[in-house]
Amino acid sequence: MRRTTRRTASAFTALAVAASLALTGCGRDSGSEAGPGASKAISDAKASGTINVWAMGTEGEKLQDFVKDFESANPDATVKVTAVPWEAAHDKISAAIASGKTPDVSLIGTTWMGEFAKAGGLDPTPDGLVKDSDFYDGAWGSTVVGNTSYGVPWYVETRVLYYRTDLAKKAGWDKAPTTWDEFSKFAADLKKSGVKYPVSLQPGQTGSWQTVLPFAWSNGAKVTNGSGTEYSIDSPQMSEALNYYKSFFDKGYSQTRMLDPGELENGFAKGTYGSFISGPWHIGLVEDAGLTKDKYAVAPLPGKDSGPGTSFTGGGDLAVFKDAKNRDGAWKLVRWLSDAQTQSKWYDTVKDLPAVKSAWQSGDLAGDQQLQVFGRQLDSAEAPPAVPSWEQVASVIDGDVEKAVKGSVPTSDAVADMQKQAKSIGTGL
Amino acid sequence: MSVTTASRPTTPVATTSRHVDPTRRQQAVAAWVLALPFLVLFLVFTAGPVLASLGMSFTDIRSTDMRTPFAVGFVGVENYAKLLADPLFQKVMLNTFLYLVLGVPLTMALALAAAVGLNRITFLRGLFRVGYYLPVVTSIVAVSVVWKFLLRDEGGLLNAVLALVGINGPAWLDSTSLALPSLVVMSSWRNLGSLMIIFLAGLQTIPTEVNEATEVDGASAWQRFRHVTLPMLRPTLLFGAVITSIGYLQFFEEAFVMTKGGPLDSTRSVTFFTYDQFGFGNYGLAAAASYLLFLAVVVFTFVQFRFLGERREK
Repeated sequence: MRRTTRRTASAFTALAVAASLALTGCGRDSGSEAGPGASKAISDAKASGTINVWAMGTEGEKLQDFVKDFESANPDATVKVTAVPWEAAHDKISAAIASGKTPDVSLIGTTWMGEFAKAGGLDPTPDGLVKDSDFYDGAWGSTVVGNTSYGVPWYVETRVLYYRTDLAKKAGWDKAPTTWDEFSKFAADLKKSGVKYPVSLQPGQTGSWQTVLPFAWSNGAKVTNGSGTEYSIDSPQMSEALNYYKSFFDKGYSQTRMLDPGELENGFAKGTYGSFISGPWHIGLVEDAGLTKDKYAVAPLPGKDSGPGTSFTGGGDLAVFKDAKNRDGAWKLVRWLSDAQTQSKWYDTVKDLPAVKSAWQSGDLAGDQQLQVFGRQLDSAEAPPAVPSWEQVASVIDGDVEKAVKGSVPTSDAVADMQKQAKSIGTGL
Repeated sequence: MSVTTASRPTTPVATTSRHVDPTRRQQAVAAWVLALPFLVLFLVFTAGPVLASLGMSFTDIRSTDMRTPFAVGFVGVENYAKLLADPLFQKVMLNTFLYLVLGVPLTMALALAAAVGLNRITFLRGLFRVGYYLPVVTSIVAVSVVWKFLLRDEGGLLNAVLALVGINGPAWLDSTSLALPSLVVMSSWRNLGSLMIIFLAGLQTIPTEVNEATEVDGASAWQRFRHVTLPMLRPTLLFGAVITSIGYLQFFEEAFVMTKGGPLDSTRSVTFFTYDQFGFGNYGLAAAASYLLFLAVVVFTFVQFRFLGERREK
């Protein structure tokens, strides 16, 4: 018995020593990641061979039928779409990159671009494939990791102000506020006219950065330096924006607790909340809650001194993998999907807002006044920095926003803490 | 194989010092062969990943290193030092400790009370047992969602009941001081069922003669409970304390569903923190946090064995 124990112990020691030797033996290369390889241009011939595509959500369900036009224009090519659930997508893609067994193309959430590009899984966008000026700036920005673009924006979303036009009218407002001063006045007037919470904002916690950063961007704050290699969160503009954001809670214009799913839409329909900031999916939710278009409207976010302010933009990009077996066909499919006409047709199919600007001038979208507001907002919208550590820094911002809003630390300290933690986390590039 | 051994002379007396009985050796070989499938699976899927994660905790591996998992920097105990110096990690350690010291005694006391009560009654016994055990078999996420509605500030059942007697109930899950105790009460309610079953089994091993004898000697019900039932239940209590502690040290789902770790991180546990770090792709740091939690489990289990275990010297 005694001997067995001793033998096991020495076996463990040997293993541990071996493991530590193995680990010390292979450190990081000092000049790690020699930068992206040259992005070889793709040929002019028609696409051929099988193109494997992964797509999530509704896109995954509808894309297979949609690509029939591409297949008939390129008779030698077959597109095989695999639907992947959003919840599993991040891990599945990251495992595929790690093992080198990737599809050719995948839909990639804009906030994942930094991580996957840095892991060396994505192929840089070939020169001359598409014109980046055809896309909204914010959307294109989400594909750029360390000055190199690793994909093409597919669809976009942005945040605008939803408000109850009937309640606003009662408070003396027949248009939406366009500046910060007007927005505060708007909230005060609605409060006076009996709306319990005139503006529903998120009091920190998961995802609140998506509502806070637009105020900061509208005020001229930048989250990273010009080339996106270092965080620069701590600035007077950022503190001022956070102070302004906090004022809505201090004056009782917004609730201070996290709302449960469904609470916001129902409260908005009942008139508990006079306005809120959210993306295009809320049109459906608000109308499901019983509101009709004569009772509410959307408007661009208020700007600091003049509207519109700078909003948040997210969505999905299309990227081709380094390990793609059919790189040439894959990029051709991406080019086809980002063509203005295809984009407009894709909107008619799944209602994804097109990332290509000219696609907003045709089809169902051109006539939809409400959605055109989103289009105008997209002209001034920013994407969060495409760096691998963004999600972690975003959660730091969420935590500090909560501390500031609930008054446990002064806003300037909260902003300083964001920068301090972001700096120690690093961009991960 | 059996043919060779059968032909061998079996003279165990001849060589006393270094002789190995062939039957025994054969048995040993057979044992290893039979154990091999398990051993291989264990080494590949259990021991391997455990050792790999231990190794990971000493490196700066991140999710972006997945294509080149060996080209990472060896950082020694830096991850551990970083964790211990991180104010958020200190906060989650404190929270986890609070879950433990509030949750374990409460759950055990409730389970013991339920077990002692159910041990006495015969009327509707099965119904009560099912009733107490039911929360254990329900989905933890479903239970958490329902409790979230019960504890809601406006329109929650609990505050509605309190309002009937004129008390203005607080926002249970939105207060930094009440959120954690609320979660503890909820998970005690959920977990007491399995402990109750274990305690019931323990109570039934106590011979009725002992209780009757003390009753004849004039001991009160409390004295009998304190000096007969509790000491005889000690091994069962130890087992209950150990498994309940391990459960509370790994507290996660309730907070994940009901509060998302808030308000102001007041319900965030070590497991929650680790989950977040894995999500951020900080595999090295997350592995280190897991090992610190593992260490805590070992320490608390050891302490409980020391204080609740059988006293040999008596």
